[in-house]
Amino acid sequence: MVFPVKRVLVVGVMLVLLGAGCGSSKLGAKALSQEAKSLQSQAAEGALLARDAVSGKTTRIYTREHSSDLYRAASKAEASLKAARTQPTLEPELRRLAELATRISTDLQHLGGASMDEERALARELQAAADESEKIGEALQ
Amino acid sequence: VSLKNVLAVALGILSAIGGFVDIGDLVFNTQAGATFGFQLLWVVVIGVVGIIVYSEMCGRVSAVAKRPVFDLVRERTGFGAGMATLIASEVVNLMTCTAEIGGVAICFQLLSGLPYRLLIPLAVLGLVVASWVLPFVWIERVFGYLGLCLLVFAVAAIKLHPRWGHVAHGFLPGSHSGGSLMVYLYFVVGLLGAAMTPYEVYFYSSGAVEDRWGLEELGLNKVTAMIGYGLGGLLSFALMIVAGVLFLPRGISPEFLGTPALAAEHTLGQTGLLLALIGILFAVGGAAIETSFSGAYNLAQFFGWRWGKKERPAVASRFTLSWLVIFALALLLVMTGYDPVKLTEYSVIFSVVALPLTYLPILLVANDHTYMGANVNGKLANFFGGLYLILILAIAVAAIPLMLLTHGGKG
Repeated sequence: MVFPVKRVLVVGVMLVLLGAGCGSSKLGAKALSQEAKSLQSQAAEGALLARDAVSGKTTRIYTREHSSDLYRAASKAEASLKAARTQPTLEPELRRLAELATRISTDLQHLGGASMDEERALARELQAAADESEKIGEALQ
Repeated sequence: VSLKNVLAVALGILSAIGGFVDIGDLVFNTQAGATFGFQLLWVVVIGVVGIIVYSEMCGRVSAVAKRPVFDLVRERTGFGAGMATLIASEVVNLMTCTAEIGGVAICFQLLSGLPYRLLIPLAVLGLVVASWVLPFVWIERVFGYLGLCLLVFAVAAIKLHPRWGHVAHGFLPGSHSGGSLMVYLYFVVGLLGAAMTPYEVYFYSSGAVEDRWGLEELGLNKVTAMIGYGLGGLLSFALMIVAGVLFLPRGISPEFLGTPALAAEHTLGQTGLLLALIGILFAVGGAAIETSFSGAYNLAQFFGWRWGKKERPAVASRFTLSWLVIFALALLLVMTGYDPVKLTEYSVIFSVVALPLTYLPILLVANDHTYMGANVNGKLANFFGGLYLILILAIAVAAIPLMLLTHGGKG
């Protein structure tokens, strides 16, 4: 039986699109560990910035602009983790990372306009999130 | 030796120190420090010695033979290979110029709080006006001297109290920890590429011709290359040390140009932050001008056009138009919103591929009695020149595979 070339091409393209998950991705342990590392980095940097803001080491503008950069990176990670798929055994880690990403991006969004008391609380929360990301990352290795 | 000459040499050294660091050094040194601590300090030494060896050589060739680098590239490698080098170097120059302009806009944003996209055209306008209005020597000085604010990172490195024994150990190559071998090698290539980036020698040799160097400037050339670049390398050490002390233990992987400034701020407060941001602003601003001029120098020298900042724009019209077009293209590319830090990583790695065809003609002409007479390379210059050429060939072959295998150093 001979398949027409065009039909084969169309089916091929559809399979590729389906394989790509139309926007979602299937992450393995290594990729999830990388995501955990990125989240740890963003949260730890945010925590350092928040602590320095409390002790008056930084300027208002720098805190606002730099935390906004960190927020954009964390919310991008949040979006990709929420859309991602993984093997059933890694589902709990994926869920925890997606929740952490939400917490981290929310904290970073607030950091730019926070009062000193809020900055102190955000520093604690972000550091806790960084520690948790690190633990998840290590467990995945 | 008159006081005037000593002052001229001192000013030249200061601008060389301040102008040593660009966005490639900022990105690769802090990322390497945040990933491997002090373990890659030895690579910076190799990179700095490499740029000293070849800058001294191409400065000497310019002073004696009055021939800038790209003139030699075309003559020594022939039209085909010369054209390939020209295309590769123009692509890398444009990428680097784009990243540096993005860096200028980011610094302005962190200083002023104004929107990034509004600051990009303002940054380009400022750089074009500075390039048009300032004489060549003042472009080097203004950006070089204000780039000296980056010395705040050296102060921060000392105030962070690193374990100096561990720092000293970093100057010896050996086994590594903290990341895979491939990632380690990727940073070796990136750090060498950032230190020995080709546009620096294009600009240095064309600048020597612009300044009308002759035999009497051979001493100045040697001192500027050795002391200026040597001390400039201290800034690279400082960046790696602060990242190793502050970022590595916290698991911070610097992804933004504002992150290195955090180290100065953490250690020295608001004054440190402002000095760091001003230093980065002028270091990347100066490098943006250097890359656009290097692109114009290369084109003009390859095609035999009139060139030089000292020429009136109407006389060197194609040269002037070239650097203006490079700025315009870079402006369009930055406005796409592509991340300047990512672009820097690509431009440094791609620049490594163009290194052998840039440095080989310099080595050949520096050994040619017809051009150089009594000022040909000595045994030491040839030993280091040959050694570095082998090294450059090896990293040029490894650069792109390592970038792909490690996902740009992410592992």
